[in-house]
Amino acid sequence: MSTQTASNPPAAGARKALVVGLAGIALTACGLLVSGGHIVAMSWLVGVSYWTAIAIGMLMLILIHHIFDASWSVVLRRQFEHGLSAFGWLALLFLPLVLASVLGPKDIVWPWMNPAGEIHGGHTVGHDPLYLKKASFLNLNMFIGMTVFFFASWIWLSARLRKASFQQDKDGDVKWTFMNRRTAAFGLPIGALTLTFASIYWIKSLEYHWFSTMYGVWFFANCVRGALSIGVLIMLWLWARNDYKGILNNNHWHSIGQLMLAFTVFWAYVTFSQYFLIWNANVPEETFWYNLREINADGTANQWKWIGIIGILFGHFFIPFLFLLSYRHKVSHGHMRFISLWILAVIFLDICYNILPVLKDAHGNALPFFSLNLVWTLSATVGVGGICVWAYLRSFMSAGAKLIPIRDPRIKECLTHHE
Amino acid sequence: MPAQSYGLIATFETPAAIYHAAEQVRDAGYKHWDCISPFPIHGLDKAMGLKRSIVPRFSLAGGITGFCTGMSLIWWTGGYDYKLIVGGKPYFSPMFAFPVSYELTILFTAFATIGGMLFLNGLPKHYHPVLKYEHIKRGMDDLFFLVIESRDPRFNLANTRSLLEKAGGRDIKELEA
Repeated sequence: MSTQTASNPPAAGARKALVVGLAGIALTACGLLVSGGHIVAMSWLVGVSYWTAIAIGMLMLILIHHIFDASWSVVLRRQFEHGLSAFGWLALLFLPLVLASVLGPKDIVWPWMNPAGEIHGGHTVGHDPLYLKKASFLNLNMFIGMTVFFFASWIWLSARLRKASFQQDKDGDVKWTFMNRRTAAFGLPIGALTLTFASIYWIKSLEYHWFSTMYGVWFFANCVRGALSIGVLIMLWLWARNDYKGILNNNHWHSIGQLMLAFTVFWAYVTFSQYFLIWNANVPEETFWYNLREINADGTANQWKWIGIIGILFGHFFIPFLFLLSYRHKVSHGHMRFISLWILAVIFLDICYNILPVLKDAHGNALPFFSLNLVWTLSATVGVGGICVWAYLRSFMSAGAKLIPIRDPRIKECLTHHE
Repeated sequence: MPAQSYGLIATFETPAAIYHAAEQVRDAGYKHWDCISPFPIHGLDKAMGLKRSIVPRFSLAGGITGFCTGMSLIWWTGGYDYKLIVGGKPYFSPMFAFPVSYELTILFTAFATIGGMLFLNGLPKHYHPVLKYEHIKRGMDDLFFLVIESRDPRFNLANTRSLLEKAGGRDIKELEA
């Protein structure tokens, strides 16, 4: 079993991840004293959203694996199953945001939670017709109930998938494969709806005047791209530990690289569509969201414009797209490591781009990206990430599962993928 | 003995047999030879020592051509040849030219890929010497053939025949060009 491998003992790694996670959380907490609750709460939302997105991506990839009865991804699926163990911790880490909104200033994160909150033009949220029309959807009870439902669905689906897969290691019964396929059949619509509404409640409702029907799809694309990139890093880690030597061949790398390329194009398609339709219609109710991310009230460009062009357009699409076109890059470990880290970084930028411009100065301009606030955003992301990696490694080390699903009916096909 | 020889053809019963035979022919240094199989055999390209196909380069060239065609089409028609304001937008913007460019990128990539594949394979081809072989139709059903062409510099009727025999081929026949 994997735990006996001498190099890179995961127990030490898990301890390190936990320390990094707690240190990140502690540093973020220090931010409360420096930058105040509002800014730190938004940074925390970035961190939690980022890692929840990756966990959702893993969940969706496992469900897609089962619904298609896929073969090449059998060995990687086991690692994603370990990754799913982070959901419980993510729910716990989301809790401070809800508690702060209930116990502290109501609009510490989501402005619509405070009916007395002032909006543009001296009105309050409570008298805003655009809020009142949406009040049956955007209210605290719905928000809490839905958030509990989201995490409960993800944790429940994860538990079913993990149980069936780990149990099959022991008894080799094919019924677990069929159980997972059934879970995938009803789990995919549940996953699609919950991740869509989660992105609407948690991120889009930060600007509750704004609307975009592409939002859930945009979020999904980031989820899967993040999960695939983490998947590549796990493959590299297990390769370096000698665990995956003799298991993976070039075709596994090629296959995951192709998926990364496909989802890069998919992400670009939906993200561009959202921008293009709003640009083309040119309706102020929609364009203000992009204006805020491009110009200040006086018409000068702000930092978010360059984040959008360099980070999102080129960093998130053109560079990974052109890079992943090449077969040689897809089967080279060094290149795959680079592009996975790159994609993880630009997903972070994308989440920031969607959340942070809600923080405004006295003139209604978005606060710049490069500022002290970035420290809290990074520390929150590293902090939550440390906890997720720790949860993954704990599951990885547990005696419940083998390194690969050795009794999966497709395992032989996977080990000889295209050979 | 045929007047003009195309090469030697040998028959194999299983994918594994032709796979290992291909490895031996590859290691013997032959360049002009091919395998005939009813279905794709995983790894046979490697066993034959084939390099990766250059079809993707045709695809890339087609894609770039398509993208540029789309952009210049929109710019030429709306922004240069007959300037027209549509929906209060600029004469030209990559924004609204993008959907057209994107579609043409895909279309031209597909054309270039199919065209490049046909070109590299020398298709369509109305005649090939192996078609004269009496059992060739079973190469679409349940048999595997290995053909070594006589234009190969290493080709030598006796030596090549013994190589094919050693590799496990049966019914080794000489093909007429």
